[in-house]
Amino acid sequence: MSSDSIQQAIIMGNVASISADVNQLLSEGVNSQMILDEQLLPGMAIVGERFKHNEMFLPQVLMSAQAMQTAIDILKPHLAGNSEARKRQTVIIGTVKGDMHDIGKNLVRIMLIGAGYEVIDLGVNVPAQRFIDECLQHQAAIVCLSALLSSTMNNMQEVVQAFRNHPDLNDTKILIGGAPVSREFSQSIGADGYAPTAPAAVEQVQHFCEQ
Amino acid sequence: MTGRERVLSALKRIETSRVPIGEIGGGYTDVIIQAVLGDKYDLGPDASFLNHQRIREILGADIVGARVTGPPVEMVGIHEDWGTETFRDYWGATHTQPPDATVQLVEPIAHSPEELESWRPPDVRDFDSSLVNRWKNTTDFFVLATLNAGFDLGYELLGFERFMMWTIQARHIMKQYYEKLIETNLTLALMSAEAGADAILIADDLAFNTGTFVDPDYLRSDYFPILKNMVAEIKRQGLPVFFHSDGDLKHVIPDLIDCGIDVLQSCDPNANMDIPTLKGEYGRDLAFMGNIDVDLLANGNVDEVKNTTRNLIHDARSGGGFILGTSNVVASYCQPENLKAMYAVAHKELK
Repeated sequence: MSSDSIQQAIIMGNVASISADVNQLLSEGVNSQMILDEQLLPGMAIVGERFKHNEMFLPQVLMSAQAMQTAIDILKPHLAGNSEARKRQTVIIGTVKGDMHDIGKNLVRIMLIGAGYEVIDLGVNVPAQRFIDECLQHQAAIVCLSALLSSTMNNMQEVVQAFRNHPDLNDTKILIGGAPVSREFSQSIGADGYAPTAPAAVEQVQHFCEQ
Repeated sequence: MTGRERVLSALKRIETSRVPIGEIGGGYTDVIIQAVLGDKYDLGPDASFLNHQRIREILGADIVGARVTGPPVEMVGIHEDWGTETFRDYWGATHTQPPDATVQLVEPIAHSPEELESWRPPDVRDFDSSLVNRWKNTTDFFVLATLNAGFDLGYELLGFERFMMWTIQARHIMKQYYEKLIETNLTLALMSAEAGADAILIADDLAFNTGTFVDPDYLRSDYFPILKNMVAEIKRQGLPVFFHSDGDLKHVIPDLIDCGIDVLQSCDPNANMDIPTLKGEYGRDLAFMGNIDVDLLANGNVDEVKNTTRNLIHDARSGGGFILGTSNVVASYCQPENLKAMYAVAHKELK
């Protein structure tokens, strides 16, 4: 089994072959963290780059993300038992209260999973308190907020304020995105970042993790 | 000159003394209509028609959107999370409308490609086209009959991610699915034509702000040929065809022209769809409608709206082929004063 074949299975979104490939590597004694870091994540990084440059499109990215999720589900028990395993960052994501649009949010979720993050998707129409509750429960350090409507983007401010006023969560990194949102708006409401596209959201989350 | 004549002139590339202006579909949400009409807002049994007529007269709009209508939706239950009623549309999908939110899909028309293969669209031949007829016979607005095609409606009925995955996993079945949806919508288009529509608007979102959802080559091989047949059949009735899609369509504009589309609507500046630029490149083959950002009407001030509208008219009006409007519809969160300012500028900026 070559590493290339797993990376190719991710890029090609080959759900059928990736289970067998990952299981074979595990049976050969290959370290689970190594499979994740050296094969799966670089594969998804290529997918992200190609999507960014319109060389891959949404259906292909969805297939790749499904292959990635399949591989991660197989690796999970092994990663948990590996004392040297790097803990995967947990990211909370949701569309803010009053807004039911989720295409952009789902795309970011898919690409974050693909980039190796543990993503808790709260869905659409999420009130500020739920972001707080889920963040506490999952000990997440990063929250992504989405809104498509001008009328609901202002609810992002309510979420940011709720985090800033919370004694245990005031340093949570908050990233916002969606059609009406801008960098200026992000700064005006005190968010930590703004992403105009899904690949940019992944880059921004990676940037948060490196800080 | 009537609104109808003004729009038809634009399509013939004749520059009129003022540019045509209007919206697609319902055009203006009820919140906006109430705000603009004030005490002229009608509450009687014919309120919907009268209020839509009055707001267009007050603003000076040239266009009205109208649909052939199906039977009332069927209530089928209560949504577990939101406590709202769920209802089944005539396509067979179940939806709900959570409080203060847009309609959401609850149950798709199929859970597997096999289910989709055996799915049959509704018989729409007894649907009601009288509203199209009424607008045509009692007003001078350009009557733009609105319907769908196969792509946007396709994912509305299946759910977005499922639809996207099946374009790869069940390609042949998806092609059949587009054919079924388009055949049904073509029937609605022909009924609209018979009822007096001045043009057909195909609403079919294909893109987001950075490009098409799917590979343009996929659209070229699996979707556009079916769309092209639909457009050809509509044009055989003598009607021009408008096409609405949000997002950045630059990679597929030549394909839409090849399909026979006459007018591209939306042209969202947030997706870098700038009408003056597009006119320079494709203006001989395609007219354009829209280009005023809905978010500008929501968050901008009157002066910003006036300047943007004035500049757009200045840059886009030459030689016709341009209809002013928003890049979508006038949403409830837009500022009525900004909407009025946009229309007022259109009426002042005369050739």
